[in-house]
Amino acid sequence: MRTNVLIQRLSDQTTPVRRLPPPLRRLVLWLGIAAPSVMIMVAVMSPRPDLIEKLGESRYLLEQGAAVVTALTAAFAAFSAGVPGRPRWPLLLPLAPLALWLGSLGQGCLSNWLSLGPEGLTLQPDWMCLPAIALTGAVPAIAITVMIRRGAPLLPRATVALAALAAAALGNVGLRLFHPQDASLMVLVWQFGSVMLLTTVGCCFGRLLLRWRPIRA
Amino acid sequence: MEKVNSREARWVGLMRAAQQGDRAAYHSLLFELAPFIRGAIGRRWGRFEGIEDLVQDVLLSMHSVRHTYDPQRPFTPWLMAIARHRMADNARRYVRKVRNEVNVDEWPETFSAHEPNYLDEGPGDVQSLREAIAKLPVGQRQAVEMLKLQEMSLKGASAASGQSVAALKVAMHRALKALRAALGEERQG
Repeated sequence: MRTNVLIQRLSDQTTPVRRLPPPLRRLVLWLGIAAPSVMIMVAVMSPRPDLIEKLGESRYLLEQGAAVVTALTAAFAAFSAGVPGRPRWPLLLPLAPLALWLGSLGQGCLSNWLSLGPEGLTLQPDWMCLPAIALTGAVPAIAITVMIRRGAPLLPRATVALAALAAAALGNVGLRLFHPQDASLMVLVWQFGSVMLLTTVGCCFGRLLLRWRPIRA
Repeated sequence: MEKVNSREARWVGLMRAAQQGDRAAYHSLLFELAPFIRGAIGRRWGRFEGIEDLVQDVLLSMHSVRHTYDPQRPFTPWLMAIARHRMADNARRYVRKVRNEVNVDEWPETFSAHEPNYLDEGPGDVQSLREAIAKLPVGQRQAVEMLKLQEMSLKGASAASGQSVAALKVAMHRALKALRAALGEERQG
């Protein structure tokens, strides 16, 4: 087909389009769906009995805060990645809160080991973490998937990985509101590990979820 | 610089109108973008045979995500991000294709027997085949002519010749056997 013919056909079939809102507005919209769904999940599972007490602990607040900021920055980065011509630096934004989260957990492991010796680093099976994070983050994950599919598939793997990270991090925040597990090594392996696993799975499905839409011209 | 700025402002205006469904504006925009994209590809890869396909691919991709353009932001970086992505995608596809392709001047032998590898000899001796068919009994010759040379179906050949389908099958089988024997003897002789 000649390019001029294609241009004619494309312009003939053009219709008004609904513009994609800026990433920040989409983040607020996503949060409006994701946060209530996580809260409902926490209410259904019933909040942990020592929640008020935990809210006074700086380490707990730091880790939860880092997880929330990770979720927010990852979602913002995922939304930015789908807009052609936008700077790429937002893609690196989640690294800072992620490092803070990991650092806090690492520091917790170290202080447990220093105060209790090898017993302070006991690892027990906690198989509920992965499905609980996936379930708590399910609605945020579905919502963000629908939203990023409206963008351009410029970086499919990175975009879906960031979206998965956002949903899983938010799921983990919810989990720690109803699951009384605070041993740093346990949180590091079973919770942070689950978040990373879900992010990796998201990365693998990137090209499947985000593709250029075929146009009939 | 002023020329670039005025072009940028015009493209932003045309794209804004196109997003609202203005077909004439969209046509003008695409018409101006095609040579711009062609030039960008040419500067990166030089002129090549499939350049027009790539230009069209960029235009189609741009069309599919035209809702992602925000008129508050510059247009050219938006367009070039799509163009660069499509160029890289096409380059990857090309490399994948080339990696799995083997260019040979002459096909290698494919069978251990000599006969199938005599590609230069073409379909064989047509005159001998014609003579061998002519020597076949009438029923067998008719079967070969209808089923092989005229490529008729068994049902059609049966209706045309008045022979039953089973009789045609038997005649064809015997004809092939006779032809094979006749041509084989000739080659050995």
